Amino acid sequence: MRMRREDRFWQIEPLLGKVTHPARYLDHEWGAHEEQDGPFHVCMIYADTYEVGQPNLGIAILYNELNKAEGISCERAYLPWVDMSSLMRERGVPLLSLETSSPVASFDIVGFTLAHELVASNVVETLDLAGIPIRAQDRDEDDPLVIAGGPSAWNCEPLCPMFDAVLLGDGEEEIVDVARCVRDARAEGLNREQILLRLAQVESIYVPALYDIVTDETSTRWGYAVPREGTGAPEVVYKRCIPDLAASEPVAQRMVPYMGIVQDRFAIEVLRGCARGCRFCQAGMTYRPVRERPAEQVIEAVQEGLASSGYDECSLSSLSTTDHSQCELILRELNERTRDTGVRVSIPSQRLDSFGVDMASAVSGSRKGGLTFAPEAGTQRLRDVINKNVTDEDLERAARNAFENGWRRMKLYFMMGLPTETDEDVVAIANAAKRVLQIGREVCGRPRRGKSGVTVSISVAVFVPKCFTPFQWVGQLERDEVRRRQQLLLQSCDDRDIHVSYHDSDVSVIEGALSKMGRKGFDVVLEAWRRGCRFDAWSDQFHYDVWLEAGRAVGVDLEEAAAETFPLDARLPWEHTSPGVNKGFLQREWRRAMEGVTTPDCTMTSCTGCGVCPTLGVSNVIAGDRHGG
Amino acid sequence: MAGSPPIGKPDLNRLRVRFGKDGRLAYLGHLEVINTIERSVRRAALPFSVGNGFARRMRVQFSQALPVGAASTCEYYDLYLTERVDAQEALGRLADSTPSAMAPVEAAYVGGRLPALEAWLTRSEWKVRLLGDGSGFCAQALDEALEALVARGSIDFMRGDKPRTIGLGNTLVSWEAQDLGSQDGMAAIALGLKTRSSNLGALRPAVLLEAAFATSALECATLDSMRVLRCGQWHEDEEGRLVEALDEGLLA
Repeated sequence: MRMRREDRFWQIEPLLGKVTHPARYLDHEWGAHEEQDGPFHVCMIYADTYEVGQPNLGIAILYNELNKAEGISCERAYLPWVDMSSLMRERGVPLLSLETSSPVASFDIVGFTLAHELVASNVVETLDLAGIPIRAQDRDEDDPLVIAGGPSAWNCEPLCPMFDAVLLGDGEEEIVDVARCVRDARAEGLNREQILLRLAQVESIYVPALYDIVTDETSTRWGYAVPREGTGAPEVVYKRCIPDLAASEPVAQRMVPYMGIVQDRFAIEVLRGCARGCRFCQAGMTYRPVRERPAEQVIEAVQEGLASSGYDECSLSSLSTTDHSQCELILRELNERTRDTGVRVSIPSQRLDSFGVDMASAVSGSRKGGLTFAPEAGTQRLRDVINKNVTDEDLERAARNAFENGWRRMKLYFMMGLPTETDEDVVAIANAAKRVLQIGREVCGRPRRGKSGVTVSISVAVFVPKCFTPFQWVGQLERDEVRRRQQLLLQSCDDRDIHVSYHDSDVSVIEGALSKMGRKGFDVVLEAWRRGCRFDAWSDQFHYDVWLEAGRAVGVDLEEAAAETFPLDARLPWEHTSPGVNKGFLQREWRRAMEGVTTPDCTMTSCTGCGVCPTLGVSNVIAGDRHGG
Repeated sequence: MAGSPPIGKPDLNRLRVRFGKDGRLAYLGHLEVINTIERSVRRAALPFSVGNGFARRMRVQFSQALPVGAASTCEYYDLYLTERVDAQEALGRLADSTPSAMAPVEAAYVGGRLPALEAWLTRSEWKVRLLGDGSGFCAQALDEALEALVARGSIDFMRGDKPRTIGLGNTLVSWEAQDLGSQDGMAAIALGLKTRSSNLGALRPAVLLEAAFATSALECATLDSMRVLRCGQWHEDEEGRLVEALDEGLLA
């Protein structure tokens, strides 16, 4: 039975004085859609706290598109922090939306964005707090339709028992199609099952309930999904792909939060997709092709966005902003137009070449904070394996250039546990950091009284094999071995001006297992939540042992699941969904990786045969001429 | 409290703005208020001045932090402008670009050499509405509790996980409690409070009242909730006279 739509802020208000950061629950931000007349209501949810979810550009885009659509209104909800959710449960207050403080369970559609694997237990927690049955199969006729999408919707199997439908690919048009489909089906009086059948006919919509999981000799132990006969559900659901980013609204973020949020700035998506082809990178494979927004549109949108939001910082976001063919023009113009206003323009990370440093100089002006590069691996051999097309010379040249341009702090991102990695590769991470430090000291002078001002920070993530990448078949490096290599790295970094940080190997195991498991993985997620797991992405809330115990309780060894290697020809648990990249291409890339052969970026050379363009009927859209590098 | 010095740039125009903080926005913290106002100023497209520091922040100074959960009709900020925009026009533009629960209500230019607001506005007046239960929940018991605290001289309290002490001799100027009868099924008391801040600290109504309800005078009473409103802020001069932040004598 659907909850009644009514303003229940009166139930939240008495709790505000008792919780940390009450601004999380206030709404009424500048730019929020106050008018929520519907009559069809959608609630978009980021299942983490407000300050983590609010900057999400994906939700901002969908929120605008839905609110623009005739007869459809969209609100937001986030997962209350543990102090608030305890009080809400104590007093019988269900999860409420922000805009109208209506129960989330009163909406027609409730949509989750799956930003990363560790959000799993929070989705369960959100549904439970909202009072919506956790499993889609347990929902009543009148309950909201629960949908999901986003970067981690690739291999959504361990979560999909919670979802009535999953949206694959670019969501801006798809979400409106789904809302209209459900609205019309409800108006026609269709029942829940009929609505799901109709949803399965919408392009790029995966309806998990219409697929059976089959395990046989061609599959892994997790099986594969096949559409149930007579449902008309497609064998493979391909992602939606908007052909031209320039045709979409450039200013997506119109809401200005009161509280400090994790990316507290105006962000504009300057391009979508990346064809560099790093073999570990899921986004690089699933967001293809590359579609640039033209410089003129970016510049005008930034000006408009800054003026209407009042932000003093703007981020040009994308998977590889310095690859934008008009990056230099955009930065030069923006610097010119924002001079003397205290506005900062930022780009998420720099390309590892002199162009990257030039662009970093363009945005920093006289303020030189830290500069970040991502060589990802310490040796040339391993960088060739992962197709990170940069050389030691690139790193050295970029570092020298940066120090000469006034930077003193350098941050280098690496990964540990990549396929074929040896101790030599691990030690080489330390050596790369030492070399950069040495260059810094050559340029800036030797330390005086123990300080030269030059520091190098290395941040080392644990490699997690992701679906739809050439490394999707690989098992994750075992936890103890990760720890040994982390210690080896620490011992190899003996200079006090080199700071080492690395990711928690426990968290990576859970992330790895969630990336690999099939639909049965949901039993683990549900059991972990029942045992108290939530906010797993927050280190102080993460409980590795509880996750392992939950796995054991339902017959899954999570460490084994993460470390499992799949045969190259096996049918994988996620192959009934597709971002358009051919399996043959991924297999070829895997073989080339093992041979240490690199593959170029198709936006700078010629087609590399990934299959996205012919499969989806799209192509790269490049506004100018791309720089090689 | 430390209090920042005036920006001391006589060539800049110092626009003093009074604004409120109401409704659910009462739950914003001081930093959140500052961010919101700065973004409102940028949206208003006023010719604000930018500092020369590393972060290149807008030149704007605020009156003392209002506790989270407290509403107000009398918060102030001084905004430094590079051009003298008509004060009423500036007020109108700010009103259009500020969330209504924090809308500016008054603006005028003041002398550039006046001290910074935070240290200068030392006197506050508060209205508190308390809801509670129990046989001892009444204005008279509250009076007795406050008198007992004054006799004790100071209050020990926790700010986060840090212990703090605030003296009452200087910070609590006066109070007046009045029974309001029954509201929302509970007994209600209206409390008027006058406080003074100094380098030694400022007295927050919630701290005072939590201490009051821990005294024996109120041991039979339960405090359910309170609504706090700051309804006045002044500068107290050496003779003890209260000067308005937008007093005619200060205008430039």
